[in-house]
Amino acid sequence: MTDSLSMQNVTYKRGMKTILHDVDLTLAPGKIVGLLGENGAGKTTLMRLITGSAKGKGTTMVNGAAAEADRKRYVSFSEQLRGFAGGTKLVKIVAFYETVYGDFEADRFAELADFLQIDTSLKLAALSKGMKEKLVIALTLARRTTLYLLDEPFSGIDSMSRKKIINSIIQWKPENATMVISDHYVSEIAPILDEIVVVKDQTIYTHRKADEVREEFNIGIEAYYESLYERGNDND
Amino acid sequence: MNFDDKVPIYYQIENHIYHEIITGTLKPGEKLPSVRQLAVDVTANVNTVQRALSEMITAGIIESKRGRGNFVTMETAKIEQLKVQLVTAQLAQVYEQLHALNLSDTEILTSLQQYIQQRGQAK
Repeated sequence: MTDSLSMQNVTYKRGMKTILHDVDLTLAPGKIVGLLGENGAGKTTLMRLITGSAKGKGTTMVNGAAAEADRKRYVSFSEQLRGFAGGTKLVKIVAFYETVYGDFEADRFAELADFLQIDTSLKLAALSKGMKEKLVIALTLARRTTLYLLDEPFSGIDSMSRKKIINSIIQWKPENATMVISDHYVSEIAPILDEIVVVKDQTIYTHRKADEVREEFNIGIEAYYESLYERGNDND
Repeated sequence: MNFDDKVPIYYQIENHIYHEIITGTLKPGEKLPSVRQLAVDVTANVNTVQRALSEMITAGIIESKRGRGNFVTMETAKIEQLKVQLVTAQLAQVYEQLHALNLSDTEILTSLQQYIQQRGQAK
């Protein structure tokens, strides 16, 4: 089967500053992958390189496709809806997604909205932080595609909303689709991860199977992640 | 389900289902929920649940019937054997820990008896 994601020798600079270098990352289909790293480590940049909205050197292929338009088609990224005015009703946003994305399934969205208790008659500005994140998740998962990128879906939201979001991920991720979830706080998502990818020192510092870490080191994912930092920082 | 992050998740799911079989929550011959439903029930990944099921199928406790799903074995002898295994594993842990405290076998037996008596009276 074609890899969901394949990145080879990807380097990204902003001005003179190297944000990420020599990124090699291959993700098989059907996985849930935790993308871990400190704030500012480059997790969001890595996601933007995958979607094509950031342009670096090297090769990035999603579901075997390298062209940017094809990649966009195979990737569903959790956009933060900054392009919509606060007065926009949610039904309008949903209609926009349906028009723009051919793989957006309205009935899938309706199921997700029902499960996450999203009231689509509300205006965007009326949503709490947790509710807005639920909307973002529902819009992202309502597309049926190959690769899902969720950028810090749990930052600053309460534990009940978090549980609901985690359950919707388990329930609605298509079987062969791969999902990358970025987070700087690991313990809440550790049990649902197949693999972890750590971004550190401007590159992919480590990529391992979660249960292998537990078997090999007898420690939890969070403790393992923290141990990578205790070894000393070899930042430039 | 509350997982211990230090222990492989597939192993914890395996033990959770074994526990349900031994206590009779899951009966011999009973059909298990679908893999995705089990994943939702325990809040784990579909692949991890699948791995746990594969281990249980290899052990002969779960039978996979093509196109029909997964079932608890009808062979009650196998379930009895599983129970012995799990009980032995628990006992081994206690035994080793008490030995590590320099208790002799006789002392372990005596303290176990005393403990059980106390617990019995407390009820």
